[in-house]
Amino acid sequence: MASRTDVLVVGGGSTGTGIARDLAMRGVDVTLVERGTLTSGTTGRMHGLLHSGARYAVSDGKSASECIAENRILREIASHCVEMTGGLFVKRPSDSETYFERKLRRCRECGIPAEPLSGAEARRMEPYLAADVDRAIRVPDGAVDPFRLCVANAADARERGARIVTHAEVVDLTVDGGDVVGATVRHRGGPGASRAAGTTEEIHAEHVVNATGAWAGQLGEMAGVDVAVRPSKGVMTIMNVRQVDTVINWCRPKGDADIVVPHETTAILGTTDEEVSDPDDYPEAQREVDLLIDELSKLLPILAEARTIRSFWGVRPLYEPPSVGSEDPTDITRDFSLLDHAERDGVTGLTTIVGGKLTTYRLMAEHLADHVCDQLGVRSRCRTDEVPLPGSEDDAVLDEYMAEFGLRSPVARRSAQRLGSRTSDVLGTDEPNPVVCECEAVTRAELRDAIDEVGADLNAVRIRTRASMGNCQGGLCCHRMANELHPASDDATVRGALSELYEERWKGQRHALWGEHLSQAMLNHLLHATTMNRDHDPVPDSRDGRTDSAAVAWSAFDGGTDGD
Amino acid sequence: MSDAIDDSDPVRVSDDWTSDPDLRPGADACYKCSTCDSACPVAAVDETFPGPKFQGPEQWRLKRKEDVDVDPSVMQCSNCMRCDSACPAGVSLSQMHNTARAAYVDEQLSPFSREYVRDRLLANYGRLARIGSRVPRLTNALMGSSVVSWLNERLLGITSDREFPSFAEQTFRSWFRERGGSQVSSAEKRVAYFHGDYANFNTPEVGKALVRVFERYGYEVAVPEQRCSGTPMFANGMLPDARRAAKFNVETFRDLIEEGYDVVCSCTSCSMALRQEYPELFDFEGTDVVATHTFEALEYLRIHEDVEADLRAADPEAAQYAYHAPCHARNQGLATQATELLGGVEGVEVTDVGDSCSGISGTYGWKAENYETSMQIGEEMFEHMETAPGETGLTECPTCAMQMEHGTGYEVDHPLELLERCLVR
Amino acid sequence: MAIEDDVLVVGGGLAGATAALAAARTGVRVRLVSYKKSTLRQASGLVDVLGYAPDGTGPLVDPFEAIDALPSTHPYRLAGTDALGRGLALFDEVAGDAYRGDHTDANALVPTTGGAVKPTARYPATVEPGLASDDRDALLVGFDGTTDFDAPLAAAHLGRAGVPFDVRGATVTFPGVAAADATATRFAQVLDADEGGARAVLADRVRTHLDGERRVGLPAVLGETDPEGVRGALEEALGVAVFEIPTGPPSVPGVRLEALFSAALSAAGVRVETGNPVVDFEGAGDRIDRAFVDRSGSAVPYRADQYVLATGGLVGGGIDSDREGVVEPVFDCHVPHPTDRYDWFEDDAFGDHAFARFGVVVDETMRPLDRRGHPEWANLRAAGAVVGGADAAAEKSASGISLATGYRAGRLAASGVGAGELTRTECGHTR
Repeated sequence: MASRTDVLVVGGGSTGTGIARDLAMRGVDVTLVERGTLTSGTTGRMHGLLHSGARYAVSDGKSASECIAENRILREIASHCVEMTGGLFVKRPSDSETYFERKLRRCRECGIPAEPLSGAEARRMEPYLAADVDRAIRVPDGAVDPFRLCVANAADARERGARIVTHAEVVDLTVDGGDVVGATVRHRGGPGASRAAGTTEEIHAEHVVNATGAWAGQLGEMAGVDVAVRPSKGVMTIMNVRQVDTVINWCRPKGDADIVVPHETTAILGTTDEEVSDPDDYPEAQREVDLLIDELSKLLPILAEARTIRSFWGVRPLYEPPSVGSEDPTDITRDFSLLDHAERDGVTGLTTIVGGKLTTYRLMAEHLADHVCDQLGVRSRCRTDEVPLPGSEDDAVLDEYMAEFGLRSPVARRSAQRLGSRTSDVLGTDEPNPVVCECEAVTRAELRDAIDEVGADLNAVRIRTRASMGNCQGGLCCHRMANELHPASDDATVRGALSELYEERWKGQRHALWGEHLSQAMLNHLLHATTMNRDHDPVPDSRDGRTDSAAVAWSAFDGGTDGD
Repeated sequence: MSDAIDDSDPVRVSDDWTSDPDLRPGADACYKCSTCDSACPVAAVDETFPGPKFQGPEQWRLKRKEDVDVDPSVMQCSNCMRCDSACPAGVSLSQMHNTARAAYVDEQLSPFSREYVRDRLLANYGRLARIGSRVPRLTNALMGSSVVSWLNERLLGITSDREFPSFAEQTFRSWFRERGGSQVSSAEKRVAYFHGDYANFNTPEVGKALVRVFERYGYEVAVPEQRCSGTPMFANGMLPDARRAAKFNVETFRDLIEEGYDVVCSCTSCSMALRQEYPELFDFEGTDVVATHTFEALEYLRIHEDVEADLRAADPEAAQYAYHAPCHARNQGLATQATELLGGVEGVEVTDVGDSCSGISGTYGWKAENYETSMQIGEEMFEHMETAPGETGLTECPTCAMQMEHGTGYEVDHPLELLERCLVR
Repeated sequence: MAIEDDVLVVGGGLAGATAALAAARTGVRVRLVSYKKSTLRQASGLVDVLGYAPDGTGPLVDPFEAIDALPSTHPYRLAGTDALGRGLALFDEVAGDAYRGDHTDANALVPTTGGAVKPTARYPATVEPGLASDDRDALLVGFDGTTDFDAPLAAAHLGRAGVPFDVRGATVTFPGVAAADATATRFAQVLDADEGGARAVLADRVRTHLDGERRVGLPAVLGETDPEGVRGALEEALGVAVFEIPTGPPSVPGVRLEALFSAALSAAGVRVETGNPVVDFEGAGDRIDRAFVDRSGSAVPYRADQYVLATGGLVGGGIDSDREGVVEPVFDCHVPHPTDRYDWFEDDAFGDHAFARFGVVVDETMRPLDRRGHPEWANLRAAGAVVGGADAAAEKSASGISLATGYRAGRLAASGVGAGELTRTECGHTR
């Protein structure tokens, strides 16, 4: 199978989808391929922080200024993906006053609004802050939902003619005499994939964009270029509830475990910074989770006893020009790099974009698109900073919508915030619309909308709707979500999708198994194993390779005393 | 010494409830088993009522600082608190409901709305009763008149299907004052009686019974100035009113505790309020002290005196009672106390009418829109009362008593009255 | 003045109630204190003895045959098959006609809401016509406002499981419940009270989908107080057998089962107190002298000659944990667990998790043992999910373990009343 496109973007994270959108807006024919679901790379495992830039004000002024500029833009164009929580940089008596003052000054120099507060004022904003927090700086940090953002970019790109293909892995780049002319893609199939597993597709492209982040080195190798990405892992721990509604940063020079970001219904603790050799395989250690809790409970004592629901690790796609040679990954710049391989390696038709952070994805995409359009001879202007993403078009109408749908207020509210201007279309139904995921207030209508878009991939449905991301981590709702796949999908597909979601939910919960969440896990286990007998279901699961049902000697069992 | 399970402690809220208490951490204990929903009597009869799991941990967890919309259905919660005693994980459900309700009334309910006016009136029954009790016969005639009933329903939404409880000729406090206060003096055995509005204005015989029984055991009984416990205020989201009343009560009773008194109540909702709702919702100095020193009257005697033996030796007139344990009594572990102790008295038969809710739940069943629901909830109790031997009801809660009478026509006594018959006369 | 009894049972679930009943029937004075409602409401209402062997073999046709092959540390081996038999007999008596399954030792296979089948030993009478070994063709019917049961999907799954009958699924609107998200108890109430003639309307709606099937399966919401009345009315209207399919929490059959035990406790003269937790205790020598029940901050003493701990496992709250370790919070009994909490679980969701076996270790007299293997207290026994050593979730053995250990703990507690107990040196504590 073969196809043609102008630009092939490899990588379906924030950068890749941002590029696809930008190019599509400029009338360029774009194809994006992603080996998993959208955001299955770093984007799906980031902290959810919309930087004000204050974190970089002292160490990396350029990044800081870029952040505040993009922060303002995203608030407008991606309003339904962003919550303007505000941020605080807090210090305790043992933290440096000098650093505090420098932070304040540097923020202002970088154009980041920064207001000093007393400890008491900070505690009025956030009552759970430790009693010994003595000063704070208020900055415009925000919280961003990376899934929603990425999906919106992809949706907009598709609207404008782009082709977005998930579950499609680039296995080789086609290089013809020093010119990259395309790629060989293997479709992995699976629920929600557009092509069957195992099929190969040759995609011919004028230009290939390497937006694979932590995997940029692996892709570069296929064209014989060296992209020395230095993947660095960081742990994030998700709390069951929001102990804070403001981003809390520890005002001190670089260090681990120094930030808490409110995210939807939860708060996310972060993080660490440890270089790894393989972005797909690295250790996930208990001590990292304990470190986050032990350290951050110095800022927020309630964290010591509060319930976590899962922990996960993300791998930062850090890049620095090889000449720099930093030893400590925390020293590597967070600025992004555009690698013009024609210039640096003599290989045309390929550009890599690495580094950066989610907050500046749009700017990275702009630079990349400018460069690629230049290469293609397309005269164009970037307008991604002006045009709102689908869902963010009309903020004001939100409140009006909510009364219409016969949903309970908080359910309507949260649903409308996720759906933005699509709320009416999705929730306006005459059919019964029960809540399927009670923890996150996700109704049947919203789930079906997501299923219509992505097919029987419950993890893709999950990241769009937040279903199974709450309190019970899917124990009480995974199977309800799976039920919604029927009748469009058959029983075998439904069971496979359910198993996949359940196992994925388990992965992160393993790091939260003590106290209240261990009780939750036990309840989930009893429900799925004992009540539903899913661990010994006589019907084969697509994952365990059986094709026949396990033979059951039906007549040997008790058939009751009725109906003889 | 073992460690008790302490992850069920309610979230501490600050003294000034209007500064937006944050009960989200209370959702940590919830593991979504829905046992609370299965125990909610309102959810069983009204499908538009989402149940305690939603009203409490789910709704709170979805809240983001000021970005919140409390669902109006929180006003349909009767505050029976059965969810509290159902929850195996120790979620402080009624604390979450009370605060959500208060936030709703404060932010989303107009003070000019009929609902608000009616709820405020009902919540402040005590204050109105103070006035009405001065001219009991006139008040009784007025409140019993069908015109007033009709007006109440049309103007305010107070059901005309129920009869207002009548005011006694003489209040309990007046009786106590007239007899010269406590007739027993004791330095070690001292109790301060929190009588509640109802015992004072409507059923002084209950208060008299308590005083006589405690004096028989050698207790010095004090009856200090007091305000409404706040129960109807919590149930209607009128927390500023509740706060004022609670502050007065805590200050008064804490001083008495310092002088060696324990606090006893005859109404299980009053004792519930002092023991659980006060520490959950308020932070006055002495709130915890008052909570740990408050008991239901029979509970107190049972712990400190050999009531069981005395009752076994008692010889009152034969009688049969249908006993209903109030929901609020259940939460204090008192549901079987009356049948266990009084059922052992010779010639006295006490039949427990089951563990369903009476349905009235304080002011809940007085609202026109809830009348039908409250009667549906109480249906099971009425049935059991009719099949139980005898035609007299028995219960500690004044509004349960109203409901029992309303549904079966039985007269309803308080266990303290039976205790008095057994031990004093 | 402590409240005094012969036997104090702490915990009011299946194990606690069984222990209390077993003790009360010998004539001793029993008090049962339960903090909250039991976990019966979360479980399906089925009574499992043993569905799968620890190595995963199953579903077992005869659970009793497999008991002797269980490891000697398994609660069934410790309590003994006699206790299991008597515990089941006690259950059968309490449940009366409401439950079936005692006519045979064989397990029954009951359909689940997902369309799998699950082995169990005792099931509600309302479930009986739905057993998978019954080969009548079946119609499954779900409700469009609920999310936990998609009847056509479940039917398809049962079909793929190879059940010996044809099965189809259909969806109807439940009569009289207009709002979505009503609780299971609401559905049950509508049918109990037959609000607006709901039974007839439901039958009518089901009938339109019936096509020769001789039995119809509905989610287990067919009345909380009058399931036989509801089912009878539906069967009469439809002319075919009607059965319930057990659901996840909240479980109406679980509520009914709780009510059956509640009535039995009352009839047996057990004094039941709910609402307050046991928070402390005092030992004297090798015996527990008093337990303390919390009443809003005051600790009220309760004294008994014998104590039974039946507070549940990780879900019921009888076993608690934090980042450092796992404890039994009421009497501080030893709970063995790996020191590294990352050894508490397996990587696969349905792996052989250590946490699924957390609990106290007991000897054959049901006494919890300390680290060194000596009874913690001479007059303390444990029963139910608080007892560890078996992965009851995977085995499908939780209720049977509660019955067996509950029965044995209750009987031994009763016979221990007033009798001499272990000598000091045999017992772990010298307080």
